[in-house]
Amino acid sequence: MRRIILALAASALPSLALAPPAAAQSKELHLFNWSNYMPPDLLKRFEAETGIKVTLDTYDTNESMLAKLQAGGGGYDVVVPTGPTVQQMIRDGLLLKVDAAHMPNFKNVRKPFDNPDFDPGRAYTVPYMWGTTGIAYDSAKVPGGKIEDSWKELFEPRKEFYGNIAMLKDMGEVFTAAAYYLGFDQCTSKPEEGQKILELLEKQKPAVKVYNAEGSADRMGNGEVAMHLMWNGAFHRAHKKLKTAVYIYPREGVNLWGDNLAVPKGAKNVENAKLFLNWMMDPKNAAEASNFTAYNNAIAGSDAYLDPSLREDPAVNTPDDMVSRFRPLRDCGKAALDLRQKVWTRLLR
Amino acid sequence: MKGAGDLWRFRGARAVAYAVLLYLYIPIIVLVILSFSAGDSSLARWEGFSTRWYGVIVEDGDMMRSVRNSLLVALVAMTVGTAIATMAALATARTRFRGQSAVEALIGLPLIVPDIVAAIAILLFFVMVGIELGVTSLMLAHSVFTIPLAYLPIRARLEGLDPALAEAAADLYANPWASFRRVVLPLIWPGIASGAMLAFIGSLGDVVISYFVSGPGATTLPVYVFSMVRVGVTPAVNAISTLLIAASVTPLVLSYLLGRRFR
Repeated sequence: MRRIILALAASALPSLALAPPAAAQSKELHLFNWSNYMPPDLLKRFEAETGIKVTLDTYDTNESMLAKLQAGGGGYDVVVPTGPTVQQMIRDGLLLKVDAAHMPNFKNVRKPFDNPDFDPGRAYTVPYMWGTTGIAYDSAKVPGGKIEDSWKELFEPRKEFYGNIAMLKDMGEVFTAAAYYLGFDQCTSKPEEGQKILELLEKQKPAVKVYNAEGSADRMGNGEVAMHLMWNGAFHRAHKKLKTAVYIYPREGVNLWGDNLAVPKGAKNVENAKLFLNWMMDPKNAAEASNFTAYNNAIAGSDAYLDPSLREDPAVNTPDDMVSRFRPLRDCGKAALDLRQKVWTRLLR
Repeated sequence: MKGAGDLWRFRGARAVAYAVLLYLYIPIIVLVILSFSAGDSSLARWEGFSTRWYGVIVEDGDMMRSVRNSLLVALVAMTVGTAIATMAALATARTRFRGQSAVEALIGLPLIVPDIVAAIAILLFFVMVGIELGVTSLMLAHSVFTIPLAYLPIRARLEGLDPALAEAAADLYANPWASFRRVVLPLIWPGIASGAMLAFIGSLGDVVISYFVSGPGATTLPVYVFSMVRVGVTPAVNAISTLLIAASVTPLVLSYLLGRRFR
């Protein structure tokens, strides 16, 4: 009798060992993103095609997302950090290696997005949306409608724009734009260069109507300001309202920032996350995301599915001769960040 | 006690009162009006009447889920927080015991500590103890910080209670539980009700703690709206806010009218 029971117990053990892994692979995916940054229809299509249920939770800045992950908060399978944040997360060991470069759809990724500074060889991330920061102005305000394609127009404005300018209240954007104009490196930590940048910004200050990074599309579109340091996707939306608005890429250098999809350590549905990352590198899906957010994507072949208004907008679909002006955003390290903060606090006092 | 009518005798009191009311309510009125705007943004000019944004919010699964989360967590936090606050108020009102000021300070701590400090502390605690983040962790955290919000009105109401009433009840052979149920509780009920409302509103409006302590699928409405800022706030936010205002004003109006009818 005892032997029969022992035999039954022994045969039951292997099934116990098998049960947990099967239960762990649930059909779920937890996304952590900005809100309104991924089309709901796209996620519904992903659910229909793969059977994986997607939940979306949201944050307002890279820093908030980073703080939450660093404090141990998680349970998310995919997060969407911008380039410099990716660098910091890799350094802090917060991301899982997903080896994106060997995923089936990786061949669609355009240069230079296939090998960025912040994630060499794309070991941790997949490119999502990218954008630039340039100058938007109302061509109706200038005789002839054209201005020089230089940061000079923003920092030493002509009288038509004086007092009618909006600057992004973003330390990185303002500091680097000034650095490009003065010929300095975006990651400078030299006090003399910081001093020159501060003087330039302080001289510009009386000409600036407002420092605000929110609602830039409305501000420009409603004509509240005639010139705006602006993100290109926001410009596209402003242009819909104000047809005479024009976007220029200053020749001294234009910030290129990129958002990326990454998998944080502690993700529960790693395989589903990798599936999603690969799926987002498909041209049709990337184009749908672009059409929704009005930013460009890094996938070749998506042009065919892009909304015509986006394709024809030189602010979104950058002409080839302007690509050389791009300066990818870099994570500059503590000394540079300290200098930026000093300049920024003095400026906004 | 002087009647309230004397206040109006002060010059300018009426004008100041109206000015304050306008200052408080005009933004809300503008918010409601702009929810019917046909334009694409909450910050834009009026572009024609349209109810399309109400349609949009119903379609937006994520927004609806965040509303459900917010309401559920607020209800639970209100109930639990008010219950604990009532017990705390009963224990600390009208008595003196050693360590009383320390206990009262502890109860009031969530109100004094900055949101972000409390949020990270609670998150670290949950991670350390191994509580999984989700809607439940949210409910726990909210129940805790709504306690001081509910405590203050209940304590105030208790202090104003005539002690003779409880003594009279004891005289008439009521045990402490019956005395509480039949005498004290009905008398402090307005205090509990306003404490519960404060707790509900406090939980509904919380952003920082909700952001850090929520798990996947547990985003609340304020956090969802806050994270729209980067890409642009649409009138969908105005629409959902209008609905929430309608949902909270309606029972208040109804209870006032019913109260009048049954006076």
